[in-house]
Amino acid sequence: MNTNRKVQSVTGAVAIFAALGLALTGCTNTGTSGSGSTGGSTDTAQTAQAASGPTCDLATYGGEKLDLKNAVVGFSQSEKEDNPFRIAETQSIKDEAAKIGVKKLITTNAQSTLSKQISDIQDMISQGAQALIVAPLNSDGLEPALSAAKAKKIPVITIDRKLSSGACDTYVSFLGSNFVEQGKRAADQLIKGTSGKGNIAILLGSSGNGVTTDRTKGFVDEIAAKGPDLKIVAQQTGDFARDKGQSVTEQLLQSNPDISVIYAENDEMGLGAQAAIIAAGKTPGKDIQIYSIDGTKNAVEQIVAGAYNGVIESNPRFGPLAFKTLQSFESGDKVGQDIIIEDSEYDPSNAKDKVDSAF
Amino acid sequence: MSQATVTITLPRRGTALGIMQRYGVYIAIAALLIYNLIFTPNFFELDNFRTQFVQVVPVMIVALGMALVIGTEGIDLSVGAVMALAAAVIPLYIGYGLIPAAILAIVVGAVVGVINGSMVAFIGVQPIVATLSLMVAGRGIALLIANEQLRSVTDPGVLSLGRGSLFEGEAFRIPYAVIVAAVLVVIVALLVNRTTFGKQLIAIGGSRRAAELAGLPVKRILLLTYVLCAALAAIAGIIGTARLGASVPSTLGNLIELSAITAVVVGGTPLTGGQVKVGGTVAGALLLQFITATLVKHDVPDAYSQITQAVIILLAVYIQRGRAAVR
Amino acid sequence: MESPLTDDPPVLEARGVTKRFAGVTALDNVNFELRAGESLALMGENGAGKSTLIKVLTGVYQPDEGEIRLGGAVVTFARPLDAQKAGVSTIYQEVNLVPLMSVAQNIYIGREPRTRLGLIDFKRMYADARALLDTYGIDVDVRRPLRSLALGVQQMVALARAVSINAKVVIMDEPTSSLEAREVETLFSVIGLLRQQGIAIVYVSHRMDEIYRVCDRATVLRDGKVVHVGALDALPRMELVSLMLGRTIESSDRGGVTAFGSDNTSDAPPVLVAEDLSRRHQIDGIDITIKPGEVVGLGGLLGSGRSETLKAMAGVMQLDRGSVQIDGKTVRSGSVPAAIRAGIVMLPEDRKAEGIVPGLSVRDNIVLAALPRLSKAGFSSRRNQDAVVDVFMKRLHIKASGPDQIVSELSGGNQQKVMIARWLAMSPKVLLLDEPTRGIDVGAKAEVQALIDELAGEGLAIVLVSSEVEEVVEGSGRVIVLRDGEVETVLTGAQVDEEHLLAALAGDAGEAAEDPRTHDAQTDADAPTSVTDSRGERA
Repeated sequence: MNTNRKVQSVTGAVAIFAALGLALTGCTNTGTSGSGSTGGSTDTAQTAQAASGPTCDLATYGGEKLDLKNAVVGFSQSEKEDNPFRIAETQSIKDEAAKIGVKKLITTNAQSTLSKQISDIQDMISQGAQALIVAPLNSDGLEPALSAAKAKKIPVITIDRKLSSGACDTYVSFLGSNFVEQGKRAADQLIKGTSGKGNIAILLGSSGNGVTTDRTKGFVDEIAAKGPDLKIVAQQTGDFARDKGQSVTEQLLQSNPDISVIYAENDEMGLGAQAAIIAAGKTPGKDIQIYSIDGTKNAVEQIVAGAYNGVIESNPRFGPLAFKTLQSFESGDKVGQDIIIEDSEYDPSNAKDKVDSAF
Repeated sequence: MSQATVTITLPRRGTALGIMQRYGVYIAIAALLIYNLIFTPNFFELDNFRTQFVQVVPVMIVALGMALVIGTEGIDLSVGAVMALAAAVIPLYIGYGLIPAAILAIVVGAVVGVINGSMVAFIGVQPIVATLSLMVAGRGIALLIANEQLRSVTDPGVLSLGRGSLFEGEAFRIPYAVIVAAVLVVIVALLVNRTTFGKQLIAIGGSRRAAELAGLPVKRILLLTYVLCAALAAIAGIIGTARLGASVPSTLGNLIELSAITAVVVGGTPLTGGQVKVGGTVAGALLLQFITATLVKHDVPDAYSQITQAVIILLAVYIQRGRAAVR
Repeated sequence: MESPLTDDPPVLEARGVTKRFAGVTALDNVNFELRAGESLALMGENGAGKSTLIKVLTGVYQPDEGEIRLGGAVVTFARPLDAQKAGVSTIYQEVNLVPLMSVAQNIYIGREPRTRLGLIDFKRMYADARALLDTYGIDVDVRRPLRSLALGVQQMVALARAVSINAKVVIMDEPTSSLEAREVETLFSVIGLLRQQGIAIVYVSHRMDEIYRVCDRATVLRDGKVVHVGALDALPRMELVSLMLGRTIESSDRGGVTAFGSDNTSDAPPVLVAEDLSRRHQIDGIDITIKPGEVVGLGGLLGSGRSETLKAMAGVMQLDRGSVQIDGKTVRSGSVPAAIRAGIVMLPEDRKAEGIVPGLSVRDNIVLAALPRLSKAGFSSRRNQDAVVDVFMKRLHIKASGPDQIVSELSGGNQQKVMIARWLAMSPKVLLLDEPTRGIDVGAKAEVQALIDELAGEGLAIVLVSSEVEEVVEGSGRVIVLRDGEVETVLTGAQVDEEHLLAALAGDAGEAAEDPRTHDAQTDADAPTSVTDSRGERA
C-alpha cells in the first residue's frame, strides 16, 4: 500500500530513489481521478450554466474568422489517460471533432510533464493548428506556449483546469466545473441524507492540488453554515487513490468509531472507504454513509445497490461545449471568458435512471 | 606495510548509541506503542492491530524481496510495477479460480525478475538502471494488459484472501493475508540463514569479486535473487488486489519501492550489501506502518505528517548509517 | 651522478623530493634529472615509487619536501593541467582521450581552430590533424571516432596531441603493454622523431628488451630512494635487475632466511599439466607441469605474467589458446567452478579485494567455497561447518576470538590463513599461491611458509608466486622464470638459487641455464617440457 509513500523523500541514500521515483511517476494523481469502465456510450454532453460575467470575441483577442470544418484543431491533454476522467475527456474531444468534421484533429498527451505540454503545444502550432483546446497540467507555466499561439492569433480554449493568467488575453475562454460548488453540493447532499446529524471524516485529494483545496473549501464552509449538528472529526489525504482511501478509512474507523459519514473528494477514495467499512463489519450506506465527487459508473452503481449515498458529477465530456464555444468565437460572436459547466448529481432517488450517463 | 592491521571501531555495546544501533527499530516501535497506549483511543484493541498488520502486508512482502536484493548490493525499483502487473493479470485469469490466476501472476512477476536479473548478472547493467527501466515499462505494460481500465474482482477466493480470516468470527481471528505474509517471512528467514543460497547471496553482496574467485555461481544467484524479489512483489500485488476487491494497475504499488527500501534500511540491512536482516526488515515495515497509523489517527494534516515521518526516518537512517559503516 | 650530456640545465629536474602518505614514505629525497632529447628509463619494482614520482612530476601530487624545476626554473604544478600547459605530458596505458569524438577533435580539444564567426573550423582542424599525424607516419582518417581505432593508433593520437601542445617532456607509462608488435615499431620510430625535435622521454616499462633498445640512461628506484643513475650501456641487465630487487649477486647464497624446509619430490605422474597457456598481451605459450608434493616457483618481474599464469590455471582468466589438465583430464578453461571441481584453487594476490569477504565471520569465510559440500538439499548444516572450521582453525593456528568473529578484524596473517583454510576445505590437488606472504607480519610469514612446506609434504602440488627472491628460491624445488609473458627459463636442482634467478629475471638466460630441457629432469619425457619452443610460435 502507499500508506508511507511520502515518508522517505528526505532520507539520506533513499532520497535519490525518491527523486527518481517522483520524477518518473510524475505524480499522476493531480487531477480528478476517477475509476470505472471507459467512457460510456450514452454521452451526456455538458451544458453551460447561465452565462454571466466578462466575454471575449475575435476583435478583442485578435485573429480572423474561420470555419472549423476546414480547420486544423489541436488538443493537448495534460495527464496520462489511465483514469476514466481523462479517458472520457479525450474521447469526447475526438468524438465531437469527428462529428462536426474538422479537417484534422491533432492530439497530444503531456504525460504529466509541464515541459512536454509546452513543446506539445508548440509542435501543434508548427504543424498548422488553427485552433487549440488545452487541458492545462498546471494553472501556471504554460506562458511560452500560449504566447506562441497568441503571436499567430490562434485561439486557445482551456478546459477542466483554470489558468491564472488573463482570459481573452493569453487564452480565449475557460470551460470547467466549479470545484468549490461541487464541494458545496456534496455538503448539501450529505446534510439532506443525514438529516444534519453525524460525525464526518473527509478523505482529501492530493495535497497541494487546487481541486482538493476547492472541494474542501466548498464542503467545509457549507457544513459550517448549514449543518450545526454535523461535526468534521478527521481530514486525511487519500491521494485520490482507492487503496489509500481504504487504508486511511480503516485507521480512522478504528480510532474513531463515532464516524457516521464519509465525504471523499473523488469516487475512487469513496470506493476504498466502502471496502474499509465492510472490513470493519459495518454496512456502507446505512451504518456509515458515503458521499463523493466524480460520477464514475462504479460509484453510481453502488448507489443503485444501496451501499453508497451520493455522488456529485464532475463532467469530463468537454467536446461538444468546447467546439461550440470555439465555433461561435470563430464566427465573430462574443463568448464567455469563464464558462462554468452544469454538473449533475446522483442520489438514491435518481441513480437507477441515470446510471448509464455515468462515465 | 609489513603488518596489515585492520582497525575497526566497534560501537561499544554498553553505550546509548551502540544500543540504538543494535535495537533502534525495536526501541522506536516500543516508543510508538507506548505513546499510542496513552494518547490514542481504541489503539490497544485486537481489531486495531489486525488492521495494522493487514495494511502492512504488501510493504512487508515487497521489503522481504528488497532485502535479498539489497543484500547482494543491488536495488530493485521495479517492485511497484510488478505489483501493477500482477494486479493486471489477475482479472484476466480469475475465471480459472484464485490459485491458477495467482500462479500466473507470480509467473509474470518472475519474468520481470528474470529480465532484471539477467541484465544485472549477465550483461552487467547497474541494478538501479536495469530495474529503473522495468519500473517505467512494467506499469505501462500493466496498463496495456488492463486496457487502462479498473476492474472489480468479485471472485470469492480473491475476496476471502483480501478480507477473510482464519477462525472467522472469533476474537482471535487471523486475516489470511497476514498468514501469507508470516509464512513468507519464515521462508525468507530460513532462506537467508539456513541455506547455501542465502549464505552465497550474502557473500556476493560482501565482495562479489571474492565470491567469484571462490567459485560461487555468482550470476545464477544474482538472477535467482531478482526473480525471488519480483515473485514476492507479485504476491504483494495479488494481496493488494484482493484487499481492494479491484485490479487498479494505475495506482497499485505506486512508490512502494521507497517504502520497501526504507523498511529494509531502517531494519538494519546496509545498502552496501553483505547482510540481510529479515527480522529487522519486518520491524522496519511495522515501524513505518505504526508511524502512519499514529499520524492518521491523530488527524495530523498531511504537510506536518510528511515532515514528521521524514524526521523519524532520517533519525533511524542516521543511526543506522553508523552501524553500516562499522559492519 | 653521471655527467650531464650537455651543459644546458636539465629540461625537467626534481631536487630532494620527499613524499609521504599517512606515515609511509613513498619518495625519499629523490633527485631526478632529464635532459632535452634524451630517453630515460625509470625503473623499479612494485612499490619502488615510480608512479609516485611521475605523479609528483606531473602535478597530481605536491611534494612534501624538495622542488621541481622546469628548464632550470622552480615550478609548482597545482594540477595535471598546469604541468601539461608547461610542456610535461603523460601518456598512460589506458588512453585518456574521448572515445566518441573524432581523432582530430581529440587532438585539438579545447583549442579548436575557429572561423571568424567563432565557430569551429572543421576544415582547418582536419587538415591540421592530418598534417600532424603525417609527420609521424600515422595513416588514419582523422574524422573517425577515436574508439574505432586500434589501441596502438589511439596511443599515437595521444602522443601526437601531447606533442602538438608543445610538449618538452613526454612521460610514457607502460606504453607498449597493449600494443601489437607492429604498433610497437611505429611507436619506437615516433619516439625517435620526438627526440630529434629535442623532446625528452621518460620511459616506464618492465620489458627489458625495450628499455635497452629505446633508452640511453636509467634511473632506478627502490623503496622510494634513487639507487642508481647511469647510462644503460654500462649497466648489464643482470646488474639492473639486482638493483631493482635490492639483491646483490654475492649475497645470493645465504639461505635459511625463510621458514622453508626441504624439497618434496616424488616419482608420481604429474597432477597438473598446463600447455601453451596464451592470452593476448598477457601471456604467451606458457607450459607448466607439476607433480604431487612439488612446489614450483613462478619467477618474474612485475608484469612478466606471473599472476596471469595463475589466473589462467585457476579459471579466472579466459584463455585464447592452451589447456590445463588435471590427472590427464582437461579442465574447462575460463571457469572458476570448473577449476575448483578439478582440484585447482588459487589464493589471490589482493587478499582484501579478492580473497576475504570482509563483513562475514571467520566461519563463513572458511566454508564459503565448501558450502555446497557441507549442505544437505540446499540447507547448510551448522554442525558440518563447525567440524571443518574447528579443524582448520586449530591446524592453521588462526587467532580469532572465535569462529563468529568478523574476518576483517583479524590481522593480515590470520586473514591469509583463513583463505588457505577455505581452500584446504575443498581438498584441492593443486594450490596456486599468489604472494601468500605479502602484507603479513614476520611471525605469520614464517608460519605460512612452514605451512606451504607441510602441505607439499602431504602431497599437495603448489605453485608459488612471490616477488621476494629468497621466498621463491627457498620455497620452490623448481622455478619457472617468466619474462614478457613467456617462459624465459626453468631453474632446477642446484640452479635454484638467487644468482641464477636474478640472471634469468634479467634475461641473460644463456648465462645461467644452458638448456632448460636437460635440467627439467622431473618431467616425463612425454610431457611438454619444451619451454623455449613455444616462443617460436610468436608472430
